[in-house]
Amino acid sequence: MSIPAATLVQGLILGLNYGLLAIGLVLIYRTSRVLNFAHGEIGVVAAVLLAKLVTDFHIDYWPALGLCLIVGAASGGVCEVILRRLYRRPRLIVMVATIGLEQVLYLVTLLPFVRPTRLFVAYPVPIHAGFAVSGVRFQSGDAFALIVAPLAVAAFALFFLRSPYGLAMRAMAENGESARLAGIWVKRTSTLAWMLAGLLSAVTAILASPDRANAFSQALGPELLLRALAAALIAGMASFTVAFAAGVGLGVIEAVLTWNLRQASTVEVVMFAILLVALVVRGRTLRAGPRDEEQSAWAFGSATLRVAAAGVRERVRQVSLVGAAVIVVVLPVFLDNSRTFLVSRIFVFALIAISLTVLTGWAGQLSLGHFALVAVGAVVTARMLGHQSILLILPVAGLISAAVAIVVGLPALRIRGLYLAVTTLGLALLMQVSVLNTPCPRLPLTNWHVCTGLPDPASTLITRPSLFGVSLGSQRATYYFVLAVLAVALVVARTWRDRGVARNLLAVRDNEVTAAAMGIRVTRTKLLAFALSGFLAGVAGVCFALVTQRFQATTFDPSQSILIVAMVIIGGLGSIEGAVLGALYLIGIPAAFGSGTTVQFITSGVGLTVFILFLPGGLAQLWHQIGDRVARLLDGPLLSASWWTSAPEQSP
Amino acid sequence: MTAARLEVRELTVAFGGLRALDAVNLTVEPGSVLGILGPNGSGKTTFLDTVSGQLRPTAGSVVLDDVDLIDYFPEDRAALGMVRSFQDCRLFPELTVFETLMVAEDARRPVGALASTLRLPAARRTEARHRQTVEGLIAAFGLEGFAERRIDQLSTGTRRVVDLAAIVAARPRLLLLDEPTAGIAQREAEALGPLLRSVHAETGTTVLLVEHDVPLTTSLCDRLVVMEAGRVVSAGPTAEVLADPAAIEAYLGASDEALARSGGGSTAPGRAPRRPAARRPAQRRPAR
Repeated sequence: MSIPAATLVQGLILGLNYGLLAIGLVLIYRTSRVLNFAHGEIGVVAAVLLAKLVTDFHIDYWPALGLCLIVGAASGGVCEVILRRLYRRPRLIVMVATIGLEQVLYLVTLLPFVRPTRLFVAYPVPIHAGFAVSGVRFQSGDAFALIVAPLAVAAFALFFLRSPYGLAMRAMAENGESARLAGIWVKRTSTLAWMLAGLLSAVTAILASPDRANAFSQALGPELLLRALAAALIAGMASFTVAFAAGVGLGVIEAVLTWNLRQASTVEVVMFAILLVALVVRGRTLRAGPRDEEQSAWAFGSATLRVAAAGVRERVRQVSLVGAAVIVVVLPVFLDNSRTFLVSRIFVFALIAISLTVLTGWAGQLSLGHFALVAVGAVVTARMLGHQSILLILPVAGLISAAVAIVVGLPALRIRGLYLAVTTLGLALLMQVSVLNTPCPRLPLTNWHVCTGLPDPASTLITRPSLFGVSLGSQRATYYFVLAVLAVALVVARTWRDRGVARNLLAVRDNEVTAAAMGIRVTRTKLLAFALSGFLAGVAGVCFALVTQRFQATTFDPSQSILIVAMVIIGGLGSIEGAVLGALYLIGIPAAFGSGTTVQFITSGVGLTVFILFLPGGLAQLWHQIGDRVARLLDGPLLSASWWTSAPEQSP
Repeated sequence: MTAARLEVRELTVAFGGLRALDAVNLTVEPGSVLGILGPNGSGKTTFLDTVSGQLRPTAGSVVLDDVDLIDYFPEDRAALGMVRSFQDCRLFPELTVFETLMVAEDARRPVGALASTLRLPAARRTEARHRQTVEGLIAAFGLEGFAERRIDQLSTGTRRVVDLAAIVAARPRLLLLDEPTAGIAQREAEALGPLLRSVHAETGTTVLLVEHDVPLTTSLCDRLVVMEAGRVVSAGPTAEVLADPAAIEAYLGASDEALARSGGGSTAPGRAPRRPAARRPAQRRPAR
């Protein structure tokens, strides 16, 4: 392993970036107990605006910079004010809300008065000071970053340690209630902390932008955020100094690894290992902190509230279910091929959403990498199709996915809530960058090759098989196949909900100590949730492969996992109907109004935020309310005939 | 099922330098009711946590019918028939009363996930039997109106009743009750006494009761233990302990001299906190 000086400088620049971001994450976590996924994007808005002001409006750099820093701070403040409504809600919900905000902020960077007209021009830098280290040229932007980043950190440290505002923030971080009693305006201080973080984020993004060919895409994507999160976790979400140092360290490690291994896939494996070690080592410290985020992770709203089981209400439910079933069975007759494909896609995502409902809705374990499990199913399909019957592939893919899910779940026994979310996000990235991209990696220390990746990472094409002599080659045949799988999954999920399995998951999620005292095997129950969810995800992966036919490693990028999370939350967390409705909403609406990325972001980002803020029960809540209303209407003078009211008593 | 015998030997729990429990020895005979009294912070809940396995002791052993439980997880102890209630009685906020009782019933006789998914006949029969048991419990505890309510919509008193129903569902051999009257209204607390007595009569279980309500405790318990600062200061049959000066000094504080002293504000620093004045009269009431 060689370490050239130029690589070190590269790593240092990268690491300063991670370190600055990590400081912002820790600041927000300490004052608000929120893992802020929007942190990076807050700064990107300011950075993009800076380019707009300087290149399009020809404003001098320094006044423009000042304006943009103010915008960065203001964006942070606005985010806090929006999220403040959620402070009584579980921390994980707030975290998901920040994911929604992140996507909203991304939309902001696309607005015409923020986005520069020409995208591929050099990002403005105020100094001209390119330099060279052992023959490698560094640009002015790099020099600027090397000078400004340490200054920014020093300024932050001074403010936090010396100013009365910094003192108030520290007091609040230690004990919010006592701080309030001591006369600190908790709300104002919290807003101030977010503004400070926004400012830091803006500085980070402005320093990072010159290095990027096109600064105006999602400049601070999941990779960058994950590194910053890793640094923040190494610091136990508490120490700014450690967070910053860890960030710089990770940057240098990454640069050195990249130089020596020259393969993104291997580097990613090492970085993931570092994250895992940080989590396991830090797990104890992290858990010793305030326990508020560990308390019952999710509030359902009224999504699972069972309505008084009046016969009429039950009848309304049955009729609507039968109606929906008839519609989906007849539907393909009226649809062309592309529309049939689209509805099949909705079915597949509904299947994935149900699988996440089991894990996140019932067991309370938030997975931000659920699509990685779907990818496992797709890989199994790609590897087995042509040799085996599809009827065999379905359970095999399910079982393999379940096994992978259990492995992912093992650290979850030690790591809880927020930290599991970070791990699964890391897993999603690892899956896309490393596993799927390497068709047949060699097992370390042996000569064995295991084919765990896609046969062709750039473009894998599968041929749809036949089933019972009927070819699944046509869109319509695939439609019915996926529909059948979905129907079985719905019945199975319903069984779990009504007969014990879900009850135990909910009990363990709501109150682990009491559940254990009652004799429920907590560890086994948690792993069962991972296994069941993984099985469904694997089966969904088979359907995904059959419907999509052609896919590549990037098909399974982490943003897909986040889309699934948005789906179950918009649908109404924990509700099976909600999972289906969420898929319909997030996949169906883009289909109806054009499938551009923008529409997708509007539906998921804005939709997610609005739903969390104003309709906690999600679409399922609406669905139940409509059902109630209809039942009440029918129950009135309209129907007093005895055959109707004596509808069969359904067990709840 | 037969009631179990609990023996605790030299049980010690240290948090850093603080000894929350200091070599506690205690035996509860099968079928008897033992009450633990003591001021706040005297180690009563720590004791229960250690017996039920939430907390690992620094030293000592917990023996249930000759089985040393020291390496048993809480769920393993539950499988041996040890059942406990919690002071906060949070139960499962988002389950309904019916579901909560089903969880308690299922935990005792689990149905396999696979069998239940495939709706195998055996699983359906067990499920139906559990359903029947739970319906019986709901009727026996007068919870019919609450069966479909979620736990977080109930008052603490009602939750306490649900908790007791879950306890009966679990058929305990040893029952650990952590302040069953905590956080409930006086009237509900008074109703709890007969209910606890009938639970004991119904199940015949051994009971370990931690309580602040002295009249309730003395009326229920065969024997009493008084704790202070992690140590047992008095133990024996209820009447003897009530008359023991050491017990009065440590907790009961019912003697007129003690009352006068605390009114004079000459309580030594570091002294365990006294009960609020409003509860005093209740404590002076003679045992029922």
